[in-house]
Amino acid sequence: MDRIKVVSKTESLCPVCMRKIDAQIFTRGNKAYMDKYCPEHGSFRVITWKGRISIQNWVRDKERAYIKKPSTPVDKGCPFDCGLCSGHRQHTCTALIEVTERCNLHCAYCFANSNAAKGEDPSLERIKLQYESVMKASGKCNIQLSGGEPTVRDDLPEIIRMGTALGFAFIQVNTNGIRLGEDENYVKELKAAGLSSIYLQFDGTSDLIYKKLRGKELLKVKKAAVDNCKKHGIGIVLVPTLVPGVNTGNIGEIIDFALEHAPAVRGVHFQPVSYFGRVPNIPSDEDRITLPEVMEEIERQTGGRIKTQSLKPPGCENALCSFHGSYLVDDRKKLISVTNRSCCCSNEKAEEGAVKAKEYVSRNWSYPIEGSMKDKQDPGKISDWDKILYRINKNTFSISAMAFQDVWNLDLERLRDCCIHVVSPDGRLIPFCIYNITDSEGRYLYRR
Amino acid sequence: MNVDNKKDIPWLCDKCKKELVLHKVKVRYLEGNFEVELLKCPECNMVFIDEELATGKMLEVEKGLEDK
Repeated sequence: MDRIKVVSKTESLCPVCMRKIDAQIFTRGNKAYMDKYCPEHGSFRVITWKGRISIQNWVRDKERAYIKKPSTPVDKGCPFDCGLCSGHRQHTCTALIEVTERCNLHCAYCFANSNAAKGEDPSLERIKLQYESVMKASGKCNIQLSGGEPTVRDDLPEIIRMGTALGFAFIQVNTNGIRLGEDENYVKELKAAGLSSIYLQFDGTSDLIYKKLRGKELLKVKKAAVDNCKKHGIGIVLVPTLVPGVNTGNIGEIIDFALEHAPAVRGVHFQPVSYFGRVPNIPSDEDRITLPEVMEEIERQTGGRIKTQSLKPPGCENALCSFHGSYLVDDRKKLISVTNRSCCCSNEKAEEGAVKAKEYVSRNWSYPIEGSMKDKQDPGKISDWDKILYRINKNTFSISAMAFQDVWNLDLERLRDCCIHVVSPDGRLIPFCIYNITDSEGRYLYRR
Repeated sequence: MNVDNKKDIPWLCDKCKKELVLHKVKVRYLEGNFEVELLKCPECNMVFIDEELATGKMLEVEKGLEDK
């Protein structure tokens, strides 16, 4: 019998009444669990970490980056004062603006619980106000236009132009890719408006997966979306939602597909399934896959071409929220790891982590800059260093994952370190997980 | 230091007193291996990187590989 060892004491929410309750993370063997107790609704236990990589060794100590210009006062305590309040410990790396609640799919899993008939789209004036709120609170961070499905709006190019005109250099659209695959002209317009990158829902390389998760066969249209974005110079990040028993065995093939389409496909960003918004069931531990399991599956399913050692914890958000690896793709599509792991030994500054993360995403998730070599008219003047710069720009590839938190596994220590903030309709910045968190009956705490 | 203005003046290795020559040199940064032409002492193989390069293209390369 493995010995139980407490890793940390934290706070969470009761999944039934959403009151704040004490929680603790403990390990038993190679697994970590969260235990919490609500005086009214009893005990809850959920797995949070499983695998060879130990949770204790993964943590990256950071000097916190408290918010300098809090928008909301501390009143009821975390997580009920989000806006951000002065208790928050990380700046915005990516701000999400939801440009519609409508969607042309009805997925089994949807954090926003979107559907075809839902609500009226926010006006351009409202969206401008949201952009301006981000600029005021967080400066020129990365923007992700989300929803709903943003491409149901014909004026999405206008929304992108508005953002670039306000000074946001990296604008990404979170999309299921259907319209991008079917409407090449629209893709062309998005590019002309200044779109840097798409965050493409891409759950696998088989239609069985799409049938189960999205209710439709979508592989063909996803491939068409990749081709159209490639043709018009928009960077693509493939984003699989990993659901045990559905697509966790497809990880290697997803990476192979991404490499086949590099450098237009800049990387794969895995999202282990979270249970908030619309979900098919209340999850058991078997319905979850944790970050170390994803890392081990990546190594196993790529036949060791990507080693777990090349993946590291983030310098921006809480270490337990994500991992990433940076690579250069050589001519034979072999990946050379360029992840710097040496940085994790000393105490780092979270503020610097946020700056680096913003630059990294902006650089590595955009389409490679074209013409950096063509600009040099005289081939004799192209130095070896220019060639290296060109190679780095063209051949970088990233593998990453982010584990969102739901009401079952919410750890407020992690939440306070969050750098992915949703801009609420009134312009407040709310950490992504808490904005989307729902109780056991599917009721949201923040989202309206 | 402005190397351009002094490019006709040869660089000498302080230790060996040999004139530096342009040579392909292997550079490694974060597991990325690159080959570049740099001034090198033919005797002791010490490589010279001038300030313009260190704060220019070389820094750009470093930043291009910068992690988060």
